Amino acid sequence: MSSPALPLIHQALRKSFQRLESSQKVWASVLAECSPLIASVGNLAEQLRALSSLHLPSTPLNVFPDLEDRLRFKLLHAVDTALVRLNEQMCSLQSVRDSFSNQVSAVFQLYEQNRDSLDASTVMERSAMAPSICDMMGWLQDAEHHYRQQFVRRKALLQTLRADELSLLESSPKRWKSLESPSMEENITDALDKVSFFIEE
Amino acid sequence: MSVRLLPVDPSDQGSQRCRMGPALMSALGLSLGSPLLISFPRGSCLCTAWPRTDLAEGFLQTDLKVSSPSLMSHPPTQLQMDHSKITPVTCSILRCVKTTVIVGSVEFKKRTPSRLIHELVKDMLKGLYVQTTFVVNLEDFDTDIKYVVIEDIKSDSVSGGLITSKTGLEIVGILTARYYNSQLQNQNMVPLGGLEEVSASLKEILQLPLLYPGTLTSLCVTCPRGVLLVGPPGVGKTQLIHKVTGEVGASLVVTRGPEVVGSRPGESEEKLRAVFERARFAAEEGPCVLFLDELDSLCPKRTSSSAPENRLVAQLLTLMDGVDQSDRFLVVGATNRPDSLDPALRRPGRFDREVIIGPPTVQQRKAILTVLCAGMPVCPSVDMAELAQQTTGYVGADLSALCREAAMNAIREDNKYLREQTIGMKHFQEALKVVLPSCLRGSLGRTELSPVSWEQIGGLDEVKFKLRQSVEWPMRYPEAFVRMGLHRPRGVLLYGPPGCAKTTLVRAVASSSHCAFLSVSGADLYSPYVGDSEKALAQLFHQARACAPSILFLDEIDSLISSRSSANGTNSAHTRLLSVLLNEMDGIGLKTVERRGAKVLQAEGVEEGHALEKMDHQEVCNKDVMVIAATNRPECLDSALLRPGRLDHIIYIPPPDQQARLCILKVCTESMPLGPDVCLEELVEKTELYSGADLQNLCKEAALLALQEENLEASALKHRYFVQALSRMRPSLTEQQINSYQKTPR
Repeated sequence: MSSPALPLIHQALRKSFQRLESSQKVWASVLAECSPLIASVGNLAEQLRALSSLHLPSTPLNVFPDLEDRLRFKLLHAVDTALVRLNEQMCSLQSVRDSFSNQVSAVFQLYEQNRDSLDASTVMERSAMAPSICDMMGWLQDAEHHYRQQFVRRKALLQTLRADELSLLESSPKRWKSLESPSMEENITDALDKVSFFIEE
Repeated sequence: MSVRLLPVDPSDQGSQRCRMGPALMSALGLSLGSPLLISFPRGSCLCTAWPRTDLAEGFLQTDLKVSSPSLMSHPPTQLQMDHSKITPVTCSILRCVKTTVIVGSVEFKKRTPSRLIHELVKDMLKGLYVQTTFVVNLEDFDTDIKYVVIEDIKSDSVSGGLITSKTGLEIVGILTARYYNSQLQNQNMVPLGGLEEVSASLKEILQLPLLYPGTLTSLCVTCPRGVLLVGPPGVGKTQLIHKVTGEVGASLVVTRGPEVVGSRPGESEEKLRAVFERARFAAEEGPCVLFLDELDSLCPKRTSSSAPENRLVAQLLTLMDGVDQSDRFLVVGATNRPDSLDPALRRPGRFDREVIIGPPTVQQRKAILTVLCAGMPVCPSVDMAELAQQTTGYVGADLSALCREAAMNAIREDNKYLREQTIGMKHFQEALKVVLPSCLRGSLGRTELSPVSWEQIGGLDEVKFKLRQSVEWPMRYPEAFVRMGLHRPRGVLLYGPPGCAKTTLVRAVASSSHCAFLSVSGADLYSPYVGDSEKALAQLFHQARACAPSILFLDEIDSLISSRSSANGTNSAHTRLLSVLLNEMDGIGLKTVERRGAKVLQAEGVEEGHALEKMDHQEVCNKDVMVIAATNRPECLDSALLRPGRLDHIIYIPPPDQQARLCILKVCTESMPLGPDVCLEELVEKTELYSGADLQNLCKEAALLALQEENLEASALKHRYFVQALSRMRPSLTEQQINSYQKTPR
């Protein structure tokens, strides 16, 4: 009754979900590292604005020569460093995304190769221990889409930041925060819960 | 077999999935994630097959991530769908894909390096099935990149394909969403009828600098930058601009005059500058037209006082001067009151060209009606040419109202058989009674006219014949007039003793000649203000010309206009009105704003050509307005008015002779129950010098007498009542009066 390809697919799915679990952890930790960086970008932008609205020669600090330029340089330098480090984090996000999407496309490829031997009822059969193949593939695709979407959004945000546009820099922590989609995260956790028996099998 | 369409699940948004029942999937031979094409009436969309999570049959939820452009702007609204509309497609992996990227704002396009856009788009498109000309909706990514249009795909002989990380991406252009949407909208514009000539000239102005920029610069020619459209309301000025820009592929920035005006000082000028700035932005992407609708409210004549409008006008003038050749946009203004515009605006360099769109002529109306009825189930017996002839003075808006009303009539008549319902001529005839030409709306001369047939007027056969000859023939058989080299008479004067059916005759003429009918009397024209009546009369002629062919009826013309030689003094209102009338009837020409559609070049058809030729004759002959005047004091009229070329036919309407009286009595007693002893001939003998009105009165008196004598239960009129009534009456005419009419007034 059951096709010879079924164990193969199950094996691949199991691997993918294990990968998803680990990716999820890495992804969260990278994002956690990003948040202080982006907060500091916003902070530095505020300092820059304060500096430009202040007239230094009329303050007691006027004894220091070209204090304003030095301060500005320092702040800009700090912004730059933060952005560079953020970009590094983006690279690790990208690697997570790429490895996961490779894994998912491998599952889909395997399914494509064996789809003649798998009839619809097998693909959609659900049991107490394991969800159907179709559901699991759907969840994997959703997760992959989520990673891709998150990455594109965050990258687009970072790439539009420039040192000479203070308002953009200032609002960046808020916008970074708004990019999170808790519902999708929840869906992924749900899916992982649903397949927990299947993985342990 | 059909399935119910449901809106897509939020969690599936942007996944390109199409959820359906597992049985349907296997029936169509689809496996998980295999591509399929769904056709809707407006377009189609490409998606991947997935079973529903609850595995229920009979429902379909599809994500329109990749669909044809028409579906993108108008999502499907139907609820049921047939299985046959779903077709599996085979897709291979694409090697290369050519795209146009649609972004949200101009700033994003300017600031973002193309490398980054390339990277982002590539990330977003990964894993999608696409087809040529389809649009990918990327709004779920929440970036400034809104859509991607697939221009071309390189694959092996299949129409669709899958984009993977190995697919090469080529971006051929980046457009803003506003520009793209305006182009999409232009594609599904309805055609316009009867404005071919004007739209061709407008198109030329728009296209020339775009197609041959080199030629123009080498000739040192500066292209026109402004066009002013002038025409009465409802002729389609705004629609024309929308259509022309759509055909040329230009984007359109529309500003309606009142939108710009703000309450704070300086606000309006600021808004106006912003509008020009917007046009300049749009012009960077391609040709652009800045359309200022209702220009007269934006730019009225400047007055000497420092009104706020003056500043707005000055701002518009400077902005129009500030448009330099490098800004590739054209300013088009539209107005129906060109005289109230500031004259400084109408010089070359600002609005270089003025395009006048007059009320449509017969041929144009035919074209408009054909376009309007193209989508309606019109009965084949409806003759558009006939309908066009009956709708003199109707503009495009009126005609579309007419068609709508006719369709409504058809629905009201019988909504049971709606599917087979067709719109017939009778529905149009009904609608013609409800929808009146807007040229005549608010005109003081518009008259509701209950049709009178020639048969309802007794006697006067010779007069009737003359009237038909001078009014009905030129309107109905213009080709014969052209053949004989005849000119249509400009005016007809009817004179004769009172009560002899002059007015009724005019009504009969109007109803038999199928043309617009305006009637005016002294009371309409008089006004306590100097110059007001003259203006009203000139306005009346203007309106009559706008809906030519038309008949203008001046009843009791002697009270309106008396002779200049009479004792009233030379400068009275009467003489001024007379001079206006003389000028309007025989003036030197038309005002330019009254110009109407010129002849369109026509193909050499055989039968069609003949019909067109016939209509052409009609156009030639019916350029003017026919004036019909009636009076019973012809000696009071000025001789200048009576010369040939003005009121050239002068028709005397005599008091009825014996035979005519018999006819009149027969007509009057037609609806009365006459007793067998009534002898109309005897009555005719006794009613010498009675006018038509007197005879009608006689019949009425006799009938009342009968009711009085027989206590409201009379069933027949006896002869003695007529005799009795006759004995109480006096004829209203006298021998002497009739003799005074015998000498001709001219």
